[in-house]
Amino acid sequence: MNASNIGRWMLVLPVTALFIALSWGVSLADGKGIFASKNCGSCHQIQGPAAEKTFDDQLKKKGPELWYSGSKFKKEWLEEWLEKPTTIRPLKYNSVTDKNTDKHPALSKKEADEVAEYLMTLTAKEVAKGTAEEKVTPQGKNLFIKRYSCVGCHSIKAGAQKVGGVSGPDLSEAGKRLTADWVYAYLKEPKVFKPVKRMPVFVDIINDNEMKTLAGFVAAQK
Amino acid sequence: MIMITKIFLITVFSIGTIAFTGKGAAFAVSAEENYKFYCTQCHGSDGKGEGANSKPKVVGIDLPEMSVTPRNHTNPEDMNKLTDTDIESAISGGGAAVSKSTIMPPWGKTLTEAEIKDLTAYLRKLCKCKGK
Repeated sequence: MNASNIGRWMLVLPVTALFIALSWGVSLADGKGIFASKNCGSCHQIQGPAAEKTFDDQLKKKGPELWYSGSKFKKEWLEEWLEKPTTIRPLKYNSVTDKNTDKHPALSKKEADEVAEYLMTLTAKEVAKGTAEEKVTPQGKNLFIKRYSCVGCHSIKAGAQKVGGVSGPDLSEAGKRLTADWVYAYLKEPKVFKPVKRMPVFVDIINDNEMKTLAGFVAAQK
Repeated sequence: MIMITKIFLITVFSIGTIAFTGKGAAFAVSAEENYKFYCTQCHGSDGKGEGANSKPKVVGIDLPEMSVTPRNHTNPEDMNKLTDTDIESAISGGGAAVSKSTIMPPWGKTLTEAEIKDLTAYLRKLCKCKGK
């Protein structure tokens, strides 16, 4: 490599690095900007930690909190869902009696990608990586259906059919949406994410290994 | 003297609060509120065992009924078979604690002991019965 080549690289490399950094920054700023301009924050909390202390605090919320969405969701799913939203909760948010007929606003492909990128930056330190393995096991199925009857409130696929309750989010395709690490963290420290919720607290009821198995089972439902 | 009285009152109040709070953390101001928030998911708003999880079709969702029908809390014959301790055990430890279906989950880490007692008393109001 001669001196002029070295000189060329010394110019090209920093410029490329600057370009990548700027593009990422712009994309992030765009996602955040779109989130703000579409008023998403009127239904979704993006600032942690959770502050709910009473039923009223929870019931006032209009939609799921997103302040840990980067730890909870899979990016590809977020991108797809924001463009073509589907129903995740069979019942309206915070209701135990009314079918969910709400239509979540849809974004364009570009907007969806940018908002997903932004949401993926919102993470929770309580969600450690590599805690649970996505895997359908007989043990996981047994825990979910028989031992702890999660199926009483959450639906999953049973062959061609769907079975289960409706007061909790539909988990039949949870693995497309949720990380096993988040499901485990949510079971282990529910108060960090949702201090007031209709799901029972299972801390000191479900042991740590079972929580990992369950998290893996849920995150493998596709 | 006033200072000592204040310290005494604060101490008594703190100990009382800790004792009352028990295992869970109370969010509700009444047993009825707890019932509406937690129990109605399966037992229904009127306590008859026909909540959305029990009968999804009632709320317009095409899913099969729950494999076990949740207890009808307004049925005095049925509820009279249970002692208050039976009810408290079922709420705290779930169906498994009273040899019933695990589809009734344990609420002992969600509700305080005092709340479970109050809920039991609320169920007695719903069934208009005293139990065994």
